[in-house]
Amino acid sequence: MVLADGYEPETLNPLLGFGEEGASKLFDGLVEHRADRSVRAALAAEVPQPSPDGRTWTVKLRSGVKFHDGSTFGSEDVVASYRAVLDPAFASTVRANYSMVTAVDADGPSTVRFTLAYPYAPFAHRLVLGVVPSEAVAQPGPLERSPFNGKPVGTGPYKLTEWRKGDRMVMEANDDYFLGAPKVRKLTVVFAIDDNTRAQRMKAGEFDGTALPPLAANGLSDVKGAQIIKHSSADYRTVVMPMANPVTGDRAMRLALNYAMNRAGMIQALLGGRGQPASTPIPQALPEFVEPTAQFRYDKDEAARLLEQAGWVMGGDGVRARGAQRASFTLMYPAGDSVRKDLAQAFASDAKAVGVEVKLEGLGWEAIEPRMGADALVLGGGNPFDPDLKSYPLLHSSFAANGFNNPGSYRNAQVDAALDAGRKETDPAQRVAYYRQFQRAYAADPAMVFLAFLDHTYVVRDGWTGYQEVVDPHTHGLTWGPWWNVQSWVPRG
Amino acid sequence: MVDQWRRVGRARTGTPRLVWGAVTLAVLVLGAVFLPWLGELDESLIHYESVRLAPSLEHPFGTDAGGRDLLLRAFAGLRVSLLVAVLCAVISTVLGVLIGGLSGAVGGWPDRLMMRFVDTLNSVPHLLLGIVIVALYRGNLTAVVASIALTHWTTVARIVRAEVLSLRERPFIDAAISGGASRWRILHRHLVPAVVPQAAMSAVLLLPHAVWHETALSFLGLGLPPHMASIGNILAESRAAVMTGAWWVVAFPSLVLIATTLAVSGLASVWRDRLVPRRRSELAL
Amino acid sequence: MRSRARDIAALALRRLVFAVPVLCVVAVGVFLLGAASPFDPIHQYYGVQIFSASAEEIAQAREALGLNDSLIVQFGRWAGGLLSGDLGVSRSFRQPVAQVIGERLPWTLLLVVVGLVLAVLIALVLGVLAAWRQGGWLDRCVTAIGHALEGIPPFVLALVAIAVFSLSLGWFPVAGLTDAGAEATLGQVASHLALPALVLAVSQTPWLVLHVRQSLLTALSEDHVTGARARGLAEHVVVLRHALPTALLPFVTLIGARVPELVTGAVLVEEVFSWPGVASAVVRAALAVDFPLLVVLSLLATAAVLIGSLLADVAAAVLDPRVAVDG
Repeated sequence: MVLADGYEPETLNPLLGFGEEGASKLFDGLVEHRADRSVRAALAAEVPQPSPDGRTWTVKLRSGVKFHDGSTFGSEDVVASYRAVLDPAFASTVRANYSMVTAVDADGPSTVRFTLAYPYAPFAHRLVLGVVPSEAVAQPGPLERSPFNGKPVGTGPYKLTEWRKGDRMVMEANDDYFLGAPKVRKLTVVFAIDDNTRAQRMKAGEFDGTALPPLAANGLSDVKGAQIIKHSSADYRTVVMPMANPVTGDRAMRLALNYAMNRAGMIQALLGGRGQPASTPIPQALPEFVEPTAQFRYDKDEAARLLEQAGWVMGGDGVRARGAQRASFTLMYPAGDSVRKDLAQAFASDAKAVGVEVKLEGLGWEAIEPRMGADALVLGGGNPFDPDLKSYPLLHSSFAANGFNNPGSYRNAQVDAALDAGRKETDPAQRVAYYRQFQRAYAADPAMVFLAFLDHTYVVRDGWTGYQEVVDPHTHGLTWGPWWNVQSWVPRG
Repeated sequence: MVDQWRRVGRARTGTPRLVWGAVTLAVLVLGAVFLPWLGELDESLIHYESVRLAPSLEHPFGTDAGGRDLLLRAFAGLRVSLLVAVLCAVISTVLGVLIGGLSGAVGGWPDRLMMRFVDTLNSVPHLLLGIVIVALYRGNLTAVVASIALTHWTTVARIVRAEVLSLRERPFIDAAISGGASRWRILHRHLVPAVVPQAAMSAVLLLPHAVWHETALSFLGLGLPPHMASIGNILAESRAAVMTGAWWVVAFPSLVLIATTLAVSGLASVWRDRLVPRRRSELAL
Repeated sequence: MRSRARDIAALALRRLVFAVPVLCVVAVGVFLLGAASPFDPIHQYYGVQIFSASAEEIAQAREALGLNDSLIVQFGRWAGGLLSGDLGVSRSFRQPVAQVIGERLPWTLLLVVVGLVLAVLIALVLGVLAAWRQGGWLDRCVTAIGHALEGIPPFVLALVAIAVFSLSLGWFPVAGLTDAGAEATLGQVASHLALPALVLAVSQTPWLVLHVRQSLLTALSEDHVTGARARGLAEHVVVLRHALPTALLPFVTLIGARVPELVTGAVLVEEVFSWPGVASAVVRAALAVDFPLLVVLSLLATAAVLIGSLLADVAAAVLDPRVAVDG
């Protein structure tokens, strides 16, 4: 099976973020996600459960599992992997996800015990981290320089046979895979960065499948023997409003802009109809958590009323002002991302309609990063597994100005309280209540202007059975997407 | 100087080319200047209800993925591209006149050194040098202008230097010097009139090159910021449209670009032929 | 005659010696451009992971990478590496620069050589035919199309070619070197090469055609051609045996002088067709601000231009004994 991907991983080391959300093909976590976003046991023998106080998680391990190099998997590998994540000497990039873990210990060869600083309800979702052999992390030192990054050894259904960087990656079925050898024997992933080139080559029949932007995928609707697959996702696009900016720092301005956005129009026109409107980071993929009263409708009059009320008066040039302050700010977007560019243009266009001037700048990330605190930015992210996983770092004040987490330095005591409560609560019904409370608090004082959850679109050639629909996280391509469970696909005929 | 202009006016070679070039250019420039200002037609506004419409009476060039009228957008793009091109042409002409003129007037080893430097600069393919410059200063209009201006002044410098050198050989300069004329007077009376038409023509000849260069950079994603309407950006966006069969998104902006470069270079070549019929090869850019 | 051969060799040697300072100036120039750029190479080193790195870690990495040294020290280290054969590591390809060049250069050479040969063939045939029947319908067509093509950028040509020949007619594959996953066999490469080479050739043809036509017209009016006609020789003998050789000499020089345009064309054509050559690597390196690769690619292109003009001059000197070789 030949797949094309627009993104080439920098590294194949799970401790540096490869397959952070599971489905990595090469590695297994203690648990893995199912299509209904619940977790099931992978390297664990059964789904782990917390102790009554929620602070100790004991995991029994599956026996008889072997790494690709033939060595036996055991508790020392799990302990070594997680300790390497936690040890600053390894400079793991996923360390922040595990800040609640205080200790990882082996309890015999087939049991591991995690000790947490506080009860953390969605902890099972964090156990999808790919386990590496203990030998790979024997020497402390920055993982970035480890040869393991390009020559990974895991327990997963596929093993890497060739990685011609910048060109392709070839994987072969792992016959010793503990859930049985995959029927799709060889997986080639060709890296073709440009969306249009990939679409053209897909149309010409070179690939068995690829991910494409919605509009490009629509152009392939008439290709014989292939179909377009749409996955809804938790992958949001939002415009971050920095609190330090005199215009976007104003609550009324942020509320008004949320009302001024024609989200349905954007999705229809720019995303080819493939997306869901977004008002908060909680996606429709988590239906029980969604708070219906926290959704913004498209209402230009309401936006104008809010602005007038807050003292933003329309000026002669069609731009409002409050005192000497013009309602004008800069919106940055990554120059290479056409969807974000289109959304940025639409944002500016809709803002102009209510008298707010938005100046666009397309930049590289290195130029964006130092300015995130002062200028607005089109940001993307999200995962469908648990509301805590994204909402907390994105909006909690303890993550203010911490890299991509909460770049606008949003601080709201009610939002903080609800997020903290949800994170520690173990009773599911009570958690839902906390997250709905969080959304109501957010909607009264929005930190950003969420625009849409993108549907991911794929073109897949027929010839296999076993595809199962799933809700994608932000990352997709080699890991998530239609091929998330390719190890259980069967060639047809 | 007046004589030279008269000669251009009187000559009869290439009259049809002149007329066609002038008419086409006039239409394009008028369009670029006035179309984007007509009525409430703001080319940056997104129209969600009219996405990718085929050409019709309402939208003669069709609309793009953002529902924006391509006639307006192509001409807005042309305006941006022409502005950038004029800016580049002026800067590189000024640079070229200064450096070439000085080099020719001073002579000796500084002249030889300068010409070696010009040779060196010409040894690096211009687009490549331009790419290196914009890559290091991305997302910056100045970088695009600089990348074009810094690579195109050498041609002008050569022409001007040759003109200055040939003037130095002429008897009337010698006569003027031996007659005790001041340096300033020689410059003013003899050099400026000889060099200005040459420089002006080089500037015009540079225009299509600058348009072409800017378009190529933007098309590669290295030029003007991608949200800005420029012909290169519009064409880069149109790569997706080719797949969906929206041919007009590629066709009309391309036509505007091609018509512009052809009209300008046609005009410039007529002018060149009339001005200096014998020095054709030297001036070919 | 022997002394002339020696003169030509001396010419070649002189040009090669002149190439050394040129390449040095280009290297220093690009290095200075990079040093003056606001782009911090530490971003290049970390990539997106910079967002999770602490300030302390970054400071340590800067020190380890020698980014705190003075400009001269950094240039010395880089140039020293260059001379000892270490070209550095490309970040955008995550490979040593030498390996990137080694893998990609042959494909670019293939594309450019095939494109150039095609362009020359088309130019010779059309140019001769047009000049032969000056003012005829063919001449007018060739001249008009030639002038029109001068105004069409290669990437527009490439887009149109893909739309027509690949997507509508389905004659040629859209892009790439081979079908995905296929071995690089002769047939595979040939079918993928056809369209990009043709587009590159067509984008270069107008100058060549118009030049051949013009110099052939000039040659046809020269004395020895008029003499040949007067002797009653057949028209095709006059054109092909007497006029064409005279006309070809400046043509050889022109081809040598067009290497920069050929490089430019290759960048655009390779990019649109995803041809895995060094020219498309320029764009990728530029988008990723992959500095070590950009410097080496600039040097490579400069060397190509110098070699092109040298070959043209040597060829001209070999073909025509009247050409002076002391320049």
